[in-house]
Amino acid sequence: MSSTAPPAPPAPLEVQEPELDEVVEVDRPWLVIVWNDPVNLMSYVVYVFQKLFGYSRQKATRLMLQVHHDGKAIVSDGNREKAEADVARLHAHGLWATMEHSS
Amino acid sequence: MMRRFARRRDGSLEVTLEQPELELIRDLPEQLRVLYEGDHADPARERLFPRAYLDPTEEQAEHEWQELVHPDLLAGRLEALERLARTVEGAAPARRDRVVIHVGPDDVQAWLSVLNDARLALGTRLGVTDDTDVTEVSPDDPNAAIVAAYTWLTYLEGELVETLLGDLPK
Repeated sequence: MSSTAPPAPPAPLEVQEPELDEVVEVDRPWLVIVWNDPVNLMSYVVYVFQKLFGYSRQKATRLMLQVHHDGKAIVSDGNREKAEADVARLHAHGLWATMEHSS
Repeated sequence: MMRRFARRRDGSLEVTLEQPELELIRDLPEQLRVLYEGDHADPARERLFPRAYLDPTEEQAEHEWQELVHPDLLAGRLEALERLARTVEGAAPARRDRVVIHVGPDDVQAWLSVLNDARLALGTRLGVTDDTDVTEVSPDDPNAAIVAAYTWLTYLEGELVETLLGDLPK
């Protein structure tokens, strides 16, 4: 359907200026780190990684070996809430986990 | 060596133990409860309830996180102790002076939790390191009994984990 009435003048375009103090933790995720400890069984660590994060046996084993040989491994990442929840679940399973901001 | 865990189709486990092993398992809940609720500076307790943030500038976040999750972490561990204790109460005599414990599907994780926490606590007390060979301890060592318990729990948990890994994708 067409109209013969002249079109209404376009509304002035409002440009949203970004507010500088609203810059949040966007691009720097939190990293969840599991540290090597001499007590937890290697098989147990693989089991926990699979159970908590749904990783394949292969990925869980690779991460476990990284913890064992390098002393630590990044096992998950995300925003602060997710990282805090992951650390809590790892602690509930007796793994020594911490979180830090990626640099 | 005999197999300790037999998997049933409904997800439950049957655990077969010798009498002295049953006594050791039976004592774990009370020992761990005392540890969980005890001195916060105890290294074994600190190992079970560690920090989330290492960065000292995140002290406020660490404090809030502890306030938020610690009650749940503690409650979960205490519940696991109760669940394991209940299954142990149901231990039934079996052949050759052994006992069989039925562990229902909902109690399997409680067994894993208690065995793992017990090993973490004993390992911390013994100062186990990656280079420690616990089998090298002499029987005269004052820690010999703890070492024996630690070694046996390691074996038992290893068997349980192998059994549970069978549930997960290869």
